Amino acid sequence: MKIKSIQDLKELHIKKSIQFKDKHRMISVCGGTGCRASKALDVLAAFKKELKTLDETVILKETGCHGFCEKGPLVVIRPEDIFYQQVTPEDVPEIIEKTIIKGEIIDSLLFEIPETKKKIIKEHDVPFYKGQERIVFGYNGYIDPENIDDYIGMGGYTALGKALTKMQPDNVISEIEKSGLRGRGGGGFLTGKKWRSCSNAKHEHKYVICNADEGDPGAFMDRSIVEGNPHSVLEGMIIGAYAIGASEGYVYIRTEYPLAVLRLEHAITKAREMGLLGKQIIGTNFDFDIFIARGSGAFVCGESSALIASIEGKPGEPRAKHIHMTESGLFGKPTTLNNVETWANIPFIINKGSDWFSSIGTENSKGTKVFSLVGQVNLTGLVEVPMGITINEVVNGIGGGVPKGRKLKAVQTGGPSGGCIPTSMMDLPVDFDSLTAVGSMMGSGGLIVMDDRTCMVDVAKYFTGFLVEESCGKCNSCREGLKHMVEVLTRICCGNGKNGDIELLEDLCDIIGSASLCGLGTSAPNPVKSTLKYFRNEYIAHILDKKCPAKVCTALIEYSIIDEKCKKCGLCLKHCPAGAISGEKKQIPLLDQSKCTKCGICVNKCKFEAINVN
Amino acid sequence: MIKPIQKQKKNKVGAVLVIGGGIAGIQTSLDLAESGQKVYLLERSPAIGGNMARLDKTFPTNDCSMCILSPKIVECGRHRNIELLTLSDFESIEGEPGSFKIKLRHRARYVDPSKCTGCGSCLENCPTQNLLRLDGDNVKLDLKPEYINLVDYLLKEHGASQKSVMRILQEINTQLRFLPETALLYLSEKLDIPISTLYRIGSFYKAFSFKPRGKYIISVCSGTACHVRGSSSIVDEIEKILKIKNGETTEDGKFTLETVNCVGACALGPVIVINGNYHGHLTRDKIEPILKEYV
Repeated sequence: MKIKSIQDLKELHIKKSIQFKDKHRMISVCGGTGCRASKALDVLAAFKKELKTLDETVILKETGCHGFCEKGPLVVIRPEDIFYQQVTPEDVPEIIEKTIIKGEIIDSLLFEIPETKKKIIKEHDVPFYKGQERIVFGYNGYIDPENIDDYIGMGGYTALGKALTKMQPDNVISEIEKSGLRGRGGGGFLTGKKWRSCSNAKHEHKYVICNADEGDPGAFMDRSIVEGNPHSVLEGMIIGAYAIGASEGYVYIRTEYPLAVLRLEHAITKAREMGLLGKQIIGTNFDFDIFIARGSGAFVCGESSALIASIEGKPGEPRAKHIHMTESGLFGKPTTLNNVETWANIPFIINKGSDWFSSIGTENSKGTKVFSLVGQVNLTGLVEVPMGITINEVVNGIGGGVPKGRKLKAVQTGGPSGGCIPTSMMDLPVDFDSLTAVGSMMGSGGLIVMDDRTCMVDVAKYFTGFLVEESCGKCNSCREGLKHMVEVLTRICCGNGKNGDIELLEDLCDIIGSASLCGLGTSAPNPVKSTLKYFRNEYIAHILDKKCPAKVCTALIEYSIIDEKCKKCGLCLKHCPAGAISGEKKQIPLLDQSKCTKCGICVNKCKFEAINVN
Repeated sequence: MIKPIQKQKKNKVGAVLVIGGGIAGIQTSLDLAESGQKVYLLERSPAIGGNMARLDKTFPTNDCSMCILSPKIVECGRHRNIELLTLSDFESIEGEPGSFKIKLRHRARYVDPSKCTGCGSCLENCPTQNLLRLDGDNVKLDLKPEYINLVDYLLKEHGASQKSVMRILQEINTQLRFLPETALLYLSEKLDIPISTLYRIGSFYKAFSFKPRGKYIISVCSGTACHVRGSSSIVDEIEKILKIKNGETTEDGKFTLETVNCVGACALGPVIVINGNYHGHLTRDKIEPILKEYV
């Protein structure tokens, strides 16, 4: 069916919205990549098989990512919102028998709070979801991303209808300006301001681009939005195009996200069929279409000018931005480029108004932000929180703290070019300006938790090494400077650090930061800078005492067996891949230092903590 | 040729000619220019720089040669006391120390160097650049008919323009599992885009490969979350089992091992993806059984 007028859209919205009459149930199985990897598709297949015998009162949906990837596969039974985690195909008959038919709850599948052993029934009572404010992710647990009717049923595309029929392009821009929305890709530029200057640029062809080239390691929120609710991104882009007067749009998406590409392609095809893309959208005179451009594994292509070069079919090298993209961007025409999350926010702002949006968050950072909370934390996954929440609330409140009673050491934000924030600053509010002030940045929203077993020099080396690989090589300072920085860091980690190395690193940081062209180069020294600022002692310990306080740098540590604690079980001997541990049965094993590769397997295998690391 | 100093004429000219614009010539010119002499730097080729510009590293310090050379080139070009005479040949010399007369042959450049900014647009638009093989008909390309069919099909599907280059290369790379040289040459001819540009794109993006890759591609996630959970030991283990290094393909063409920045499945770390199948929460001992599934 093609939507030809605003009336059609309203009717479809009412027809498709879900009303739970008595006994009607919806089973939503999370089909995000995380849950799929934990065999969610088998669970779905099992449900399909079992449900054949039931009547049509039960709706089965494969939805987008629910965010709580740690405990996948997730199954939520609505309208009661009963939350089952780590469901296996074998559990499915029981769920149908007990929960769906009899309305009973299965205790063993519920989420349990680790400390209190308390079982939680409802989805929104789970601590992981409790502190969150889910706007962009709001629909994720309810809709099938491959079904446009679901999205319309939830109120999707009504914002587009409102914008096209009741608002002038200028009003749309004013509304976004008033909302105070800032770009979610990392820079934090005011979206409304960007739109305004693009709208003022005089040209008959303009472009909008959605940046879905999420390259930061440890960040996957853009992917989950595209996989879970692709239409919200499309709707945002169409509204944006209407506001600035663009005729074509591109979504630049990573090739490493095959499922996201598939779902986006599907969504675009469906939107075209329904008359939401193409000529005369919703019966108005507005024409607009969206195309997909796939990346090919180059991190720097997340940078706007490199991204544009890549869409144009060139190597993705950044260029100097003397002329702003809103004047001369893709193919030399005015272009508005925003991140996935920014676009996904637009429909909500149009529908609920700028006042509602600006009531969330802090003075200069409005709305919510999605973070991917990963690393050494109990509950990993995607969290959407209002801006201004403290790091402590996110890590310890929502994330449930650091596992195995370890101590929190630092939180790394902003991807490879962000910085590490020490525990002393855990009460720092998370917003654009506070993070920049302490030498890190918001970035695309990775929050990587590190415990006391993490060596900060090693972390700096890892990120700088990553950036060496990803530097496009255009600027000398970034290409050679980073390489040299890694050399120095490696030297320090190997115990060959010299006096003056810290000063050398600081020098390099300054030069790389000031002499590089694009965002990658200018922010590249951040990991080293921030670790030097907050964890200088560790650098000094490596260089002067030749010690790694976190016991990570293999050249500086040695393993030994503590005789008093050893129970002679022989587990370490059995698992040592290098054959460095030898000995007879019922004897304390011997560790040959010359053969030991310091892989750490014996430490993990030993149940009695009888292996010492010096 | 050099006469004793006392016999020199009194009206000496304070100018020097340096022949050859390599690193030695450049350094000489700079030293002389700094000491106040007017220097003419003669170079046969269109630009100064010489052989050092072609080297990666210099002996014995392994310093990057361009890092040493390029500041000097720039300084040479800018120095008020140095006049560059590129594309010029030395013809004859007469006179005596202090007052030589040199005859040069200056070849045509067809470009006004005082106006050229070195933007490179002319290179891209030159119609004679995209000749398939300059050595004529002697070289026969071993172009497989399947490559021709594939490239023709893709050109029809995505359109023959610069815009569709990425799309076409991605398709070739997925279907053939690498970018064969002959297919690229054919594509370059069809699109009228220099082969060098295609090579540049092919080598810039990580997803492309110029060597045939394995049937199963093992991508080990090396994202931060996986790194802190020990993904590097997973790479070691796979390297050990398959007897290949990161980035290589097994001899039987079955497996290719590579690391990717992040597959976005951070909750499952360390994670590997084999042809789109995710395997999470890995430890060293879980690797071998997984690889056996694919044999």
